[in-house]
Amino acid sequence: MKVDHSFFEEVSARSGQDLSRCFHCMCCSGGCPVAHGMDYLPNQILRMIQLGMRQEVLESRAIWLCIGCYACVTECPNRVHIPYMMDALREIALHEQVRIGEPDIWAFHREFLKQVGKRGRIYELEFMARYKLATGNLFQDAVMGMKMFRLGRLELLPSSVKHKEIMKKIREACDE
Amino acid sequence: MSNVRNTGEKRLRRVHYYPGCSLMSSARDFGTSLFQMFRLMGTWVEPLEDWNCCGASPAHSVNPDYATLLAGRNILLAERQGIDDLYVVCPSCFVRLRTAEKILATDASMNAKLAKACGREYEGGVRLKFTPEILSDAPSVFEKAVVNPLAGLRGVLYFGCLLTRPEWITGFDIRPYEKKLKKLVNVLDVETLDWSHSKQCCGSHLAVTKPDMVDGMVDRIRDHARRAGANCIIAFCPLCQVNLELRGKEVEPLPVFYISELIGLAAKLPGHEGWVKKHLVDPRPLLNSLGLV
Repeated sequence: MKVDHSFFEEVSARSGQDLSRCFHCMCCSGGCPVAHGMDYLPNQILRMIQLGMRQEVLESRAIWLCIGCYACVTECPNRVHIPYMMDALREIALHEQVRIGEPDIWAFHREFLKQVGKRGRIYELEFMARYKLATGNLFQDAVMGMKMFRLGRLELLPSSVKHKEIMKKIREACDE
Repeated sequence: MSNVRNTGEKRLRRVHYYPGCSLMSSARDFGTSLFQMFRLMGTWVEPLEDWNCCGASPAHSVNPDYATLLAGRNILLAERQGIDDLYVVCPSCFVRLRTAEKILATDASMNAKLAKACGREYEGGVRLKFTPEILSDAPSVFEKAVVNPLAGLRGVLYFGCLLTRPEWITGFDIRPYEKKLKKLVNVLDVETLDWSHSKQCCGSHLAVTKPDMVDGMVDRIRDHARRAGANCIIAFCPLCQVNLELRGKEVEPLPVFYISELIGLAAKLPGHEGWVKKHLVDPRPLLNSLGLV
């Protein structure tokens, strides 16, 4: 059997991580606070990259569930920065337009970044409304949302940077 | 000069801070309690002018370069505004800013991108500092200010994730400050208890997208806090505070205080009556039963 190394090399280069250092001690997966909800454990994802399983990795739910709390890299005896690896995998998944394993989480990120691109800061009311529209979870947390609103923990009006064009320029500089 | 107090020899220290989005909205009370606390320490606080969102989790999750430039613009602004030390309140913002600083210092092509968007390269003139650094220097100041000792409150310190990871990852080491922060809470007459979950993740943005999962995570944290004998949790991060009060289903909720809020309560700083009303888990029954409000 021949293993395709191109995926391994692509992820290594993009994440700046030497993924061959992993010897599968599973410390990362043991320390991960969301491992129980993942389809593949963090070290399994790494193994799948080593084996060239491009599609399975890019369409997995695990790469979206990683919060980036850095518990895994704290535990890793070989200092493999798994959160950077996950960042790179999501970037590749979006670039290649594969099926997204966790559409709601992607919608969250997307709507958040739209807010940032628009005014440089987050306007929580609009952000939450747009997230709900994008996912169809209209009534999830409606009661809690009302409570936060009543307690004055949501701002009524958005604030923004002085010159909004700067946000567009930043975005463009990254997309080149 | 505005930073010299006329009343005497003492010079008011000027502190510049990066507010971040949550401090301006869902954690506004954390913000105001922090400002009152800084005032008590004899410092003058000013926000970074024209700051923008650091990109939080979403930016680095899907486009790491974007995360670097978003955070990078803020440190560039600080440099241009002549700020030497920029204090960051939220651990997540801090790690984002610190990561961008590291990348800009080592990757010339990223700095060139920043210059292309913002008109100038970052030269490396800003020291990023984290609020616990300034807090932990001052227990004696707070000790003198206590007029309402919070006896009866038994808290567990909850540091959360990013605040506590090793220095080679985040650029900040909590260990030298842990004892001091504990002492700071103790001078307010709050008892602190040892427990196992002070560095567990609160669930972060999954609280919105995967509520059931975060319910479980918060329940576990609460359960361990209760088992340690705590009647409240003390947090340092605006997002942790919201998640720990918002989520969780099985275990009886505990109020989660910001460290600065407790200082406000103990020293009766202006506005403290208002802060306790804004919790998702109302702390007033607990505070009333102990005769603290």
